[in-house]
Amino acid sequence: MKISYFETGRYHAPGNMPRAWPAPPEVYDREAGARAYRGMIERVRFIEELGFDWVSLSEHHYSPHRLTPAPVVSAAHVVATSQKITIAVLGPIVSQSNPVQVAENLAMLDNLAPGRLVVGMLRGTTGEYLSYGLNPTEARERTTEAMELVLKAWTEPQPFGWQGRHYQFRTVSVWPRPTRQPHPPTYALGSSRESCEFAARHRLGLGVSYAPFDVVARVTRHYRERCAHHGWEPTPEQIIYRANIIVAASDDEAQSLLEAQRRARAPFPLQAGVRDALIELDSRNVAGEARTPNVGGMLPTNFIGGPDAIVEQIERCGAETGVGVIDLLFQTPGAGDTGSLMASLELFGKQVLPRIREV
Amino acid sequence: MVQAGAGFIESHVEADGFLVRYMEAGQGPALVHLHGAGGLRLTPGHDLLRRRFRVIAFEMPGFGSSAENTRTGDMPEMAATMARAVDALGLDSFNLMGTSFGGKTALWLALQQPERVHAIVLEAPAAIRPQGTEPPSGSPEEMARRLYAHPERVGPISLPDPAVRAKAGRLVGRLRGPDRDVDLENRLPSLAIPTLVLFGTVDRVIPPEMGHFYKELMPNCNLVFVYDAGHAISTDRPEAFAEVVADFVERRDAFVVSQTETVIHP
Repeated sequence: MKISYFETGRYHAPGNMPRAWPAPPEVYDREAGARAYRGMIERVRFIEELGFDWVSLSEHHYSPHRLTPAPVVSAAHVVATSQKITIAVLGPIVSQSNPVQVAENLAMLDNLAPGRLVVGMLRGTTGEYLSYGLNPTEARERTTEAMELVLKAWTEPQPFGWQGRHYQFRTVSVWPRPTRQPHPPTYALGSSRESCEFAARHRLGLGVSYAPFDVVARVTRHYRERCAHHGWEPTPEQIIYRANIIVAASDDEAQSLLEAQRRARAPFPLQAGVRDALIELDSRNVAGEARTPNVGGMLPTNFIGGPDAIVEQIERCGAETGVGVIDLLFQTPGAGDTGSLMASLELFGKQVLPRIREV
Repeated sequence: MVQAGAGFIESHVEADGFLVRYMEAGQGPALVHLHGAGGLRLTPGHDLLRRRFRVIAFEMPGFGSSAENTRTGDMPEMAATMARAVDALGLDSFNLMGTSFGGKTALWLALQQPERVHAIVLEAPAAIRPQGTEPPSGSPEEMARRLYAHPERVGPISLPDPAVRAKAGRLVGRLRGPDRDVDLENRLPSLAIPTLVLFGTVDRVIPPEMGHFYKELMPNCNLVFVYDAGHAISTDRPEAFAEVVADFVERRDAFVVSQTETVIHP
C-alpha cells in the first residue's frame, strides 16, 4: 500500500471567525496565513523524511480552512522545496478552469519535477460551484469535456482546434509537452458512473474519496468492470482512496478525539436557501446509484485508532476495496495549532508506515 | 422535426456521359459537397450551411439510384468526372467539401484543378486510414453504432436497399485505394489551398488520430476536433459542424482569429 499525505495549507484563525460562508476577506490574519504557508513546507519535508510516498494537494476556493485556491502554485512551491516525494495534484477543478491552461500548467509541473507528478481532475464539490458561478446543471458535462480536452492537448502531435459544447479553441499547441508519454499518471476523481466510465475509456486511474469501505468497494468494482469492458486492467496504484484519519497513541485517545469532532459544528454553513438550490440542481451518483450531494456537511472519519488498529484497518481496506494508494487527511479535532498534526504524522510515519508496505 | 435537407431541390447534370444527380439549396458562395461511401445523405449540417452558401451536394455516379458505375476506374478519375459536373453547373471556382470517402475525391479534385478551389473542408476524411480499415457495413443498428456518437439520439437509420448497397460497394472497393495511398500522399505537400480537416472525438470508423497526418502533409491545413461527435459529424453535432465550416470557408486561414463576443452586458 502506498500512503499519500493530503496537505491542505491548514489555517488556524487567531480569533473567532464569522460562521457564514463565504468568510469575509477582511478577517484574514496575515500572520496566521504566513504560518499556514510555512507549515505547508515544514510538513512536506517532514513526511518526505518519514517515508510517505506521496503528498497530495487540492483546489479549494474562498476557504478559511484550506488556503489552496491554486493547486499548481502549491505544487510548484512543493516541487522546489522537496527532494523526491511524488506530488499528486488532485486536482484542478476542471469544470471551472480553462482546460488548455490546465494542460499547460500541469505539463510545466511535469517538466519541473520529472517523474514526480501525478494528476487528478475533478468536477469539484457542490458548494464549490458558487465560487466561480458555475451552473450546477452544466458541471458534469463541462468536466467531461474539459478532461477530454486536457488529454488531447497533451497527446496531439500537431496544433489543433477544438469545437466543443462548452469550450471552443481554434488553435491549441501546448508547450512544454509532458515529460512522460502519453502524459503523467492521471486520475479521474469521483465515484459516479460517469467518472468510472471516463477513466476506463481513457485508461486513467480513479480517485474515490471519504466514503466507507463498502461504498468504495462498490465503486472500484464498477470501475474495474468498465476497464475490463474497454479491454484493460488497472493496477492497484491506479486507484486512490482519499480518507479522513484520526490516529493517536491509543484507541481510547483516538475515540475521545472523534467524540470532540462529533460535538463540533460543521464549519461555514451555507444559507439554507442556497444549500437547497444547489442540492436540487446538482446531480450525483455512486456507481450509478443516486445520492444527495453533500453541501457543507461533515465527512466521515474512515480510519481511527492507535497504530495497531490503523494497520488492521488499512489491511482490511486494501483487501476489501483493492485501492493501492490511500491519501490521508489527518484530523486533529480541537487543536488550535498544527502541533498535534505534526505529532499525528510522526506517529503514523514511525508506527504505521513501516508495517503496511507489503499490504 | 422537419426532415434534414427538406428545402433542397433535386436536379441532374451530365458529366462524362453520366447523369449526375445533385441536391441544391441556398445562396451565396458555392459550396460543393462530395458524400461518403454510404451515398448522398443530407444532414442537419447541410440545412445550416445553406443559410450562408449555395450548397450543391452531388451524388457521385454509381451511388443511390443511378446505374451501376463500372466505368470509373479509380479515385482520380472520379474526381475528374465530378470536376466536369461542377463545370456543367457553370461554376468557375468554388469551395469544396468532402465527407469520409468523398474527402479523398475532394483532395484529388483539388490536386487536379487547384486554381478553381478556394477552400477545402474534409469531414472525417478517409484518405489516410489505419491498416485494415473497412467501410462501415452491416445492419442499420450496426451502421448507426459505427457512424454516430449517440445512435439513440439520431433515431433509426434508413439504408438503401441491398442491391443499391452492393452496387455502390463494388465501386467503393475499386476507388477507395490503399489505406496509405503513397501517390496521393506524395502530392499533398503541393496542395496549398486552405484546408480544414474535421474529426469527431469519438469517430468509430476513422480514428481521429489520423487527423495529424493531413496537417503534416499539407502546407495550409487546419485540424479541428469536434467534441463528442462520431464519424457523421454533421449529423451528431450539426451546429458545431456548420459554425466552424462556415467560418473557415468565409475567412479561411483567418478563422483562427476569434470573433466570438464575450461581453455579457454592455
